[in-house]
Amino acid sequence: MTSKAIINRLTTGVPGLDEILGGGLPEFSFNLIAGQPGCGKTTLAHQMMFALATLERPAIYFTVLGEPPLKMLRYQQQFEFFDTAAVNRTIRFVNLSDDAMTGDLNLVLKRITDEVTTHAPALVFVDSFRSVVLAGETEGNPHNGLQQFVQELGVLMTSWQATTFLIGEYFNETDANPVFTVADGLIWLRQSVQRNSMVRKMEIVKMRGQSTLPGLHTFRIAASGINVFPPAKVEVPSAASLKALLRAPRLLMGTPGLDDMLGGGLPCGYSLLVAGPSGSGKSILAAAFLAEGARQGETGVIAAFEQHPNRSRSRGVADLIANDQVGLVENRAADLSIDEVVYMLMREIRRLDATRVVIDSLSGFELALAPTFREDFRESLSNLVTSLAAAGITVLMTSELEDRYTDLRFSPYGTAFMTDAIIVQRYIELDSRLRRVMAVVKVRASAHSDQLREFSIDAEGIHIGKMLANHEGLLGGRPTRKPALRSVGVAVTDPEG
Amino acid sequence: MQAFDQSKEEASSDIAALLAGAVSDGASARQVVGMVALAFRGIEQALEPIIGQRGVAALYKRSVHLASQVHPWLPRPREGVHPAMDVSALTTELALQAPAAAAAAGDHLLQTFCELLIGLIGSSLTDRLLRPVWATLLSGAPAQESTP
Repeated sequence: MTSKAIINRLTTGVPGLDEILGGGLPEFSFNLIAGQPGCGKTTLAHQMMFALATLERPAIYFTVLGEPPLKMLRYQQQFEFFDTAAVNRTIRFVNLSDDAMTGDLNLVLKRITDEVTTHAPALVFVDSFRSVVLAGETEGNPHNGLQQFVQELGVLMTSWQATTFLIGEYFNETDANPVFTVADGLIWLRQSVQRNSMVRKMEIVKMRGQSTLPGLHTFRIAASGINVFPPAKVEVPSAASLKALLRAPRLLMGTPGLDDMLGGGLPCGYSLLVAGPSGSGKSILAAAFLAEGARQGETGVIAAFEQHPNRSRSRGVADLIANDQVGLVENRAADLSIDEVVYMLMREIRRLDATRVVIDSLSGFELALAPTFREDFRESLSNLVTSLAAAGITVLMTSELEDRYTDLRFSPYGTAFMTDAIIVQRYIELDSRLRRVMAVVKVRASAHSDQLREFSIDAEGIHIGKMLANHEGLLGGRPTRKPALRSVGVAVTDPEG
Repeated sequence: MQAFDQSKEEASSDIAALLAGAVSDGASARQVVGMVALAFRGIEQALEPIIGQRGVAALYKRSVHLASQVHPWLPRPREGVHPAMDVSALTTELALQAPAAAAAAGDHLLQTFCELLIGLIGSSLTDRLLRPVWATLLSGAPAQESTP
């Protein structure tokens, strides 16, 4: 077995990319980065180059035609990864436009060969390759000379032990382009615009010698460069870890009386859905959950997707965030992907070693997603919940619930099935006043209260009161007082009654 | 922004001081022209591999255009299929001037070129690319550039 060639894998320096590549970039591979203009090809190439280039592993970046090198340097240096000190030290930029303009591919190849043999780079980039192709095209035979050019370039780079990237525009996937055949790796960048949101996606169409993560992976270009968001690994918890979770002490909710209703707190690793109409107190319940965690010495993360986070966030939660007892994942423009949200969540969870997570709210979460991802919301949410549960993290999600008194609904998303526990809050009209009631609808594999309890909210939080035992039809929104005869013997009486 | 200005000033004062010093030391127009030519050939050598001959020529053309508002006799670079910096034409014209005038014009043109480059790629990268050129100039290395 040891006689087989060992393929070293290079760490690209692009967060998330190594994961979707299947463990990094194979050394000495001949790769193509393709995509439409503006989709981030040059940025991806530069980011990898600045991360990979060292004195022992120098890089040459050939600019051909297309984006003028001055412009490229002007814009690329805006990224944090661009290290001016590396230029002419570990990284050389070489312009081939004068050779390319002759249309003679042999001349271009000779210049590349000369530079590579002189400087022996370990990393070679040719940007943009499309211009090389166009320069070599002749009427009647669009690939005239190109096949030979690519073949020779591929052979040259491999034998000179250079990991190579050809950066190309406008490549048509269905085109029988000889470059696709020769290339060991094919990284395709895409961007789709829907309404006012733009989503960038990356696909590893091929990468010889290793198993890549299939499909389209979202990425974002920020000041730090490209950040790829690999899909959250859906791990099914092992029987042993499930047993351990069951033995773990239940989590206290921080709302007096609620732990009893849940049958002694929320089991560790459970997902809890708190559903209720606007203003019913879901966020307050969630804030108490985080505050109780902090009291117990636990840390948490809140994913806040409200329209006005500062206005709606309670002071208690703000203090916890300020003290770094709770990490914050905030809403941005409506262009997030689920994978990005999971990435941000997991980053905060790992940073704080958090055990409690709040998603407030699912409705806001869905709105924060780019329209293109909303179709997959339920499936992705299910993956997220499963992943968090597998990690032993207890999740509380709030869900806006349209007040419907004709049927008992817990979630507009059909998300109830994927949660382990459900608390529902409702408004009722009683004596010409709007009152609140809540009930624990479900706690998987656990006894829990079936009582519908009145509750009130003040500056201290939620106060759970008693059952409105002498009323009936509470869930219809307009309860009626039971006939006096039937209330005899009921211990709990309506305090207002 | 501060770095930008600072770098500009540094490059400016260094080269201006070098040329002014040469003039006050009694340098001939030929010697001044030699230093200016050396600077531009160095720039050409440093930048051409990176931004191409056309890229350098375009920057030079713009610099001459701007500097000729003060020194209208500066020769326009040649046009054509292969635009180039044409340092020879510059040195020919500079050699016809008095040493002080040649130094002032050469310095102005160099400054304009550097400022243009700094405006495009920033002072840090400009410094990185052109530092060897200034080092050669300031070290007093072959200042006696041959002129036509």
